Amino acid sequence: MNPLVIAAVWLGLGLVAATVLRRRSARLVAVVPLAGAVLTLFAARSPAPAVPLGGLAAITGLDRAGQGALVAAGVSLALLIALHPSIDVSMARAVGVVGAAATVAMSSTDSLVTALALTAAVATLVLRWIALAPGRATLAAGRIAGSGTAALVAASPFLPLSGFTTGARPVVVGALFALGVAALLAVYPFGGWAAGILGSLRPLDVAPWLVVLAPVVLIIAERVPNGILGDGIPVFEHVLLVIGLGSAVWGGVWAVRGPASMRYGRIFMADIALCIAAVGGTRSSPAVTGALIIVLTHLTVAPILLRPLDAGLVWPRRVATALLSGVPPSPTFWGRFLLLEALAAGNVGSTIAAVIAMTAIFVATVMACSMKGTATAAPAWPARVPEAVAWALVAAGIAIGIAPQALSVFVFGN
Amino acid sequence: MGVSAPLLSAAGVIGAVVAMMVDGRRAVAIAVVCLAAGMTPTAATFGGGPGVAVLGASAIVAILFAWVGWLGGRRLPWVAGLDPTVPATAPGDRLFGPRSVRAFGAAVAILIASWVSFNVPVGEVAVVEGLLFPTAYAWTCGVIRLIVAKTVEDLAVGVAMVSMSTGTAWLLRGGTDSLPGAVIACVAAPVAALVSGWLAGRSSRRVLPRVEAEA
Repeated sequence: MNPLVIAAVWLGLGLVAATVLRRRSARLVAVVPLAGAVLTLFAARSPAPAVPLGGLAAITGLDRAGQGALVAAGVSLALLIALHPSIDVSMARAVGVVGAAATVAMSSTDSLVTALALTAAVATLVLRWIALAPGRATLAAGRIAGSGTAALVAASPFLPLSGFTTGARPVVVGALFALGVAALLAVYPFGGWAAGILGSLRPLDVAPWLVVLAPVVLIIAERVPNGILGDGIPVFEHVLLVIGLGSAVWGGVWAVRGPASMRYGRIFMADIALCIAAVGGTRSSPAVTGALIIVLTHLTVAPILLRPLDAGLVWPRRVATALLSGVPPSPTFWGRFLLLEALAAGNVGSTIAAVIAMTAIFVATVMACSMKGTATAAPAWPARVPEAVAWALVAAGIAIGIAPQALSVFVFGN
Repeated sequence: MGVSAPLLSAAGVIGAVVAMMVDGRRAVAIAVVCLAAGMTPTAATFGGGPGVAVLGASAIVAILFAWVGWLGGRRLPWVAGLDPTVPATAPGDRLFGPRSVRAFGAAVAILIASWVSFNVPVGEVAVVEGLLFPTAYAWTCGVIRLIVAKTVEDLAVGVAMVSMSTGTAWLLRGGTDSLPGAVIACVAAPVAALVSGWLAGRSSRRVLPRVEAEA
C-alpha cells in the first residue's frame, strides 16, 4: 500500500475524530492509531517509487523495520488511549498529524522530505502543548525541538556528499544531523524541554512524542550516516556517544531523585539516551538489536505506565516497572546487555558511564515498584477490562524477556 | 557576466534583518515577503526564472494563506485557544528586551554565516563556494529567532525563515533536483503563515466587544 494513503488515513481520521467525537465517545480516539497500525501492515517497500518527487529521491515505501516500528507504535498508542482514565478528543488531531508525519518520514529516502515531515509533527505537538499549558517548558519544546528539525532541514541541500567526503562540508552535515537527532530525542544538553513537558502536561499529552516520534527518530538516526558522511562520521558518532551517555547518567539520576509522577518519563529518556549513544556512537549490530528490544519493551509497557499514578492498576504497574529494571528475565536485561556489549567494544569510559546509568535506572525502578498504591475493591467485570488488558501487556513484556531475539525479529524483521 | 557577491549578500542580509525584527499579527507574511525579496537576486542568479518564481509564489501564497487563515479563524465559532502574539511566559524585568536579543543574534549570525559561506561548498555538479552567505545568514537568523522565541508568532517566523533560506540553498546547489527541492523546502513558509493567521484570527474576535464595553 502506498505510504501516502496510510498517512492520509492517519491525518483524515485524526481530523474527523477531533471534530465529530464528544466527551462520551472520546475513547474512540484510539481508532485513529489502530487504523493507522492496521493499514501499515499492508505497506511494503517497492523498487518503483511510490510517490515520485521530481529529481529528488522518491518516497519508496516502508522497509520492514520501519513498518514494524510504526505498527507497534500505533497499537501501543491505541491501547494507551483506550486505557487512559480521561481523554480530550482534541488530541486526535495531534495523533493524526504525528502518525501521518511519522509514516512519511519513515518511508522517505530523501533527507529533506524526512526533515519536513518531522517538522510538521513537532510543530503540531508544540502548538498543542503550548495551548494546553502556556509556559517556559512548553515554549522550550518549540524552541529546542524546532531548532532540531531546522538543523535536519538545513543539512538537506548539502547531501549527498559523494565527492565531498573530506573538508568542512561533511563535518557541518554530521554536526547538523547530530544536533537535530539530539534535540528531537531530548538528549542532554537539549533534554530540558522533555523533562519540562513531562512535569507540566498530562502523560497522555506527551504520548505522541514518547510512543511514536521518539522511536521513529531513533530508527532514522540509525540510518542517517550509512557510510555517506565521510569526515562527518566521527563528529556524528562522537557527539552522540558523549551526549547520549551523559544524558543517560543524568536521566538515571533524576529518575531516582525526581518526583514519582515523572519517574517513568525519566527512565524512558535515560533508556533512549543509552540507545542513541550505542546506536549512533558505535554503529554495531548488537547496539541496534539492543535498542530495538528496549524500544519494543517501552512500547509494551507505556500504556500501563504512562497513566496518572492515582488511576489504579497498581499491580500491573508494579510488574510493568519491574520489566524495566534490567534484571533477568526482564526484556530490558537483554537490551541493555547488548548495548553494553556494543559500548564496551569502544572504550572503558563508555562502559563505566553506561553501567552507572543502568544502575541508576535499576534503583529508580525499585523505588517505583515499592511505592504504595491504594488497592480498590474488585469492580464489576466491564470495569475490569483495563486491568485484563494491562495484564495481557505485562504478559507480552515477559514474553519479550523470554524470547527477545525472536520477538524483535518478528516485529522489526532481520 | 560575473555575479556581484556583495550585492547578493546585502539584499539577503536586509531581508533577513527585517524578518528577524518584525513583530505582530502579520509578522510571518511580512517576514516571508522580505526574505523572498532579499533572496530573489540569489535565486535569479542560480535558479533563473523558475527560481524567482518559487520564491515569488511562496511570498504570494504566504500572504494569501495568512489572510485566509485569519478570515477562517474569525468566521468559525469561538473556542478557547491560543493567541500567537501573547508571550507564553510572563516577561521578566530585564535590561534588554526581546528585540535587543534578536539584534544581538543577528550580529552574531554574520560571523557564523561568513564562516559557512567561505568554508562549506554547496552543490553537487558545479560547486558554489563563497556565495552561500545570504542563505546561511537567513537560516542562522531563523534558528536564533526560534531559540529566543517568546510567542508562537516568533516560532512561526523562525520556521518560515528556515524554510525560505533552505529553499534558496536548494536553488544554489544546482542539478536536476534543485527546483523540486526548493519547492518542497519553501512549502513550510506559507503553512506557517496559515497557522499563524488562523490563530490570530481566532483570538482577535473574542475580547473586543466585551472589553470595549467594559472600558
